Amino acid sequence: MDAPNTFRRARLMAGICATMLLLTACGGGGGGGGSSPPQPLPEPEPPTAAELAEASRFAAKATFGLPYSGIDAMARQGRASWLNRQFSLPVNLHSDIVTDLVQRRDAGEFVDYEEDIEFLILFRRLAWWHRTVTASDELRQRVAFALSQIFVVSDNVDALIINPYAMSGYYDMLLNNAFGNYRDLLRAVSLHPSMGIYLSHVNNRRSDPDNNIFPDENYAREVMQLFSIGLFELNINGTWQLDTNGDPIPTYSNTEIREFAKIFTGLSFGGPGASFGNQFPNFLAPMQMFDSEHEPGPKYLLNGTVVPGGQTGMQDIEAAIDNLFEHPNVGPFIGKQLIQRLVTSNPSPAYVERVARAFNGDATGVRGDMEAVIRAVLLDPEATAAPDAFGTFGKLREPVVRYAAILRQFGATSDDGFIANTGYFLQELGKQHPLSAPSVFNFFLPAHSPAGEIADAGLVAPEFQITTSNSVVGLSNLIDFIVVANFVTDAPDPFAPVSLSFDDYIDISTNVDDLIDRLDIVLTAGQLDAATRASIRGVLLDIPEAEIRVRIALYLFLISPDYAVRL
Amino acid sequence: MMNRRSFLTHSCSLGIASATVTSSLLSLGLARTAAAQSAPGYRALVCILLAGGNDSYNMLVPTDNDQFGEYRAIRSDLALEQGSLLALPGTASNGRNYGLHPGMPELQSLFASGDAAMIANVGTLLEAYDAQAVADGTARLPLGLFSHADQINQWQTAVPDARIAQGWGGRVADIMQDINVANGVSMNISLSGSNVFQSGNQVGEYSIESTGDGAPGINSYDDGTEYGTFKKRMVDELLAVEQTHIFRREYARRLRGAIDAQAVFVDALQTSPTLTTTFSPGYFSQALRQIARVIGARSALGASRQTFFVTVGGWDHHDDVLDNQANMLPAISQGLSEFRDALVELDVFNDVTTFTTSDFGRTLTSNGKGSDHGWGGHHIVMGGAVNGAQIYGDYPIITPSSQLDVGRGVYAPTTSVDEYFAELALWFGVSVSELDQVLPNVRSFYSPESAQPPIGFLST
Repeated sequence: MDAPNTFRRARLMAGICATMLLLTACGGGGGGGGSSPPQPLPEPEPPTAAELAEASRFAAKATFGLPYSGIDAMARQGRASWLNRQFSLPVNLHSDIVTDLVQRRDAGEFVDYEEDIEFLILFRRLAWWHRTVTASDELRQRVAFALSQIFVVSDNVDALIINPYAMSGYYDMLLNNAFGNYRDLLRAVSLHPSMGIYLSHVNNRRSDPDNNIFPDENYAREVMQLFSIGLFELNINGTWQLDTNGDPIPTYSNTEIREFAKIFTGLSFGGPGASFGNQFPNFLAPMQMFDSEHEPGPKYLLNGTVVPGGQTGMQDIEAAIDNLFEHPNVGPFIGKQLIQRLVTSNPSPAYVERVARAFNGDATGVRGDMEAVIRAVLLDPEATAAPDAFGTFGKLREPVVRYAAILRQFGATSDDGFIANTGYFLQELGKQHPLSAPSVFNFFLPAHSPAGEIADAGLVAPEFQITTSNSVVGLSNLIDFIVVANFVTDAPDPFAPVSLSFDDYIDISTNVDDLIDRLDIVLTAGQLDAATRASIRGVLLDIPEAEIRVRIALYLFLISPDYAVRL
Repeated sequence: MMNRRSFLTHSCSLGIASATVTSSLLSLGLARTAAAQSAPGYRALVCILLAGGNDSYNMLVPTDNDQFGEYRAIRSDLALEQGSLLALPGTASNGRNYGLHPGMPELQSLFASGDAAMIANVGTLLEAYDAQAVADGTARLPLGLFSHADQINQWQTAVPDARIAQGWGGRVADIMQDINVANGVSMNISLSGSNVFQSGNQVGEYSIESTGDGAPGINSYDDGTEYGTFKKRMVDELLAVEQTHIFRREYARRLRGAIDAQAVFVDALQTSPTLTTTFSPGYFSQALRQIARVIGARSALGASRQTFFVTVGGWDHHDDVLDNQANMLPAISQGLSEFRDALVELDVFNDVTTFTTSDFGRTLTSNGKGSDHGWGGHHIVMGGAVNGAQIYGDYPIITPSSQLDVGRGVYAPTTSVDEYFAELALWFGVSVSELDQVLPNVRSFYSPESAQPPIGFLST
């Protein structure tokens, strides 16, 4: 990590200074020539402010953020119709972008710029940002990010940072399965070579007791603890079942872990010429089973299920995936985390139960249908009820989402249309980046409960785990760089600089109240506190120049507690 | 009024760290420093978390032929070469000889010179390990044994029978925080962000970076320029709003608190002596360097007691444990040695005790590539107050019939985290009567009223 770190600082700080010199020389930044087509208004009645605010609030849950025009369109279209269209859109894969970049590199485009850094390690990051900012399958991209925080792999492992397909290929797997069936998702996660490396079940051999060698328990543990059933038996509403002593009931013990460890033996990298023990990953093919290295004999799984001896390795794996998939915990366990990632930190047990029933297929007979789960998460009456500024519903926005939203909502463009961002600056200041978590436990735990008022109220607020005295200022400064200093992204040369467009806002900025009203719809979904509004208003009235007024307005909105926490 | 000229001037200065003017908080802090100095001495605890579960049975290894043979047999392809081990002087309580991983010569020197000691086979326990009770199913065992999330938590909370968010360092600070000047900079300072160890009911960590002056301020805020004054006004007004939503309130509190504390912290850090000790460029050494700098600024910070926390990740070596430890343990060894030199230079080596923690030890048996999650593990303590050159606790005799082996070569701990932490807490200044509050399970292993220390590795 040292080399990228050094690169980061040197290049990024150089980038900041260069950008600022440019800003000064030009006598102003922004604009950037991005054309924003005028919004046609064919319908007889435009949406009301309340309808726009409601659409904006929904968009903040279901996407990385929509610009005003997108919010307006959603308000006209309606949530259900918008969702239907999103579910029908084709997937925009990240590895396609990586392939383009690899081809450009192979053609020599980056050769003059590779003194400091291996560009390959940037490609999956560039792909993530470009797709996230520009792709039309907005719901799928947002859900895949949520899934990446449950089924965690990270590029903080050497073998996974070097190859740009390690992370992009894994993310594509999440994108492809985001609206499919959870069983297929769990199977694909389990067989993905990046997961095989990250949780070390690739090249995991059968027992050799004479030499005190036994199957690796790593994946066996985490697939249960984190990816499927969790530590304790759950009621369908996500609360713990309790034994007669009032204690939670473990879902498994080390005995079951050792049985599942036997299941996940015999896998090595797949693709042409595959062989067991091969150390050269093929990230474009699932891992492949080599039965000669697979643990023979029966395996004793959960809930009394016995996998008979003599099966092939893949038969064992299918049986184990079924065993986990059929466990009653999966619906509430995965469902609650999706609610936390997309909607609110503290869903009621009834909300969790409704989502779990959607997972279980109570109405449809189809268990594990992710589309049904996502609909249940986003359209639940608790999620769509009127926001309450005095309540406990809502969540702290994540740094990654805050950054992506700015780029999406304020017209990020570049000369060649590629939105080039490495995200290193975000990672350094905001302490988060997609697929870069410090461990399989993600950046924050679903049950993180900050000491003080929040813990005292019995609430959790996971995102506060990365909101330290350091990062809370760092992220505010990052926002300053983006919207005030016009240092929008951090990609090195020769990628074209990215600019934002504030033209629509400058047009209405003469009237400070109009400007605030518009930003309140787009950013705070109509939930800007009256006192916050008064504070921002007073500042803006002292800034006569339109563009500066808009930039400062945006900065204050984006660092405000009103925006940081969405209701 | 903000015009384009002052705005652009501001833009050009963005990103360049600006010295903060003395804030009213700092004035308050300095005024009260005198009072703090009259408190008894200065002491600091430095907690190093080797996150992921260090395979410490390859960090502290038997060197006698018979025990090395048992070690080699059970560790199989994970065994180190006997001749590569760095011998430690003296014997453990079992009369046996042990050596360090070959990548830790600096630690060998620290140990030999009495500046460091090892604590053998420490782990989470609710009661002394009893093989029969475990076999009978009557033993009371920690929650989620072998699970990262639970064990890394319990190594910080010292409460193995519940899942709580408050660590023992946080509880110490809850009790002792008034000994320091109240200036917004917590007694508990983290180089690794939010953590359980330093979270109390009232006190949380103050989070700093190992680079620069550790804490960023809001760009241009109150930097003496026209724009800086304007920036201060707009941010202050924004954060003065009384928020109604509990999360918004918390966010506002954190941002406001961070801005205020940073001004105090960075100004105080300027008083820290320039160190002649050089530190390696790696993450761990640089974190320890920053800790030394903060300790050097203790007076300006008005701090009589401080805890520091630094996580070094990546020890979950299911894979390539030999190569990975060969790469990672030297950084620990070197960092500790550099830190010792810096603390001696600051004349505080007797006042700072550094100790390691980790999720768990690992299986002594192999998975063919690495080792899996275990239980007991060995740890390092360093400081002038450490009665060094000794291996404390009971290093298990390795044998296939060991009563401590709960399966797959997982050795149950012979010393509890409670005993380990009680020794540290009492040295830090927690009173006998407060020890139960800090370590609720301590009486399962140690009576605070005892005339004997919990382990004896620190002289008070």
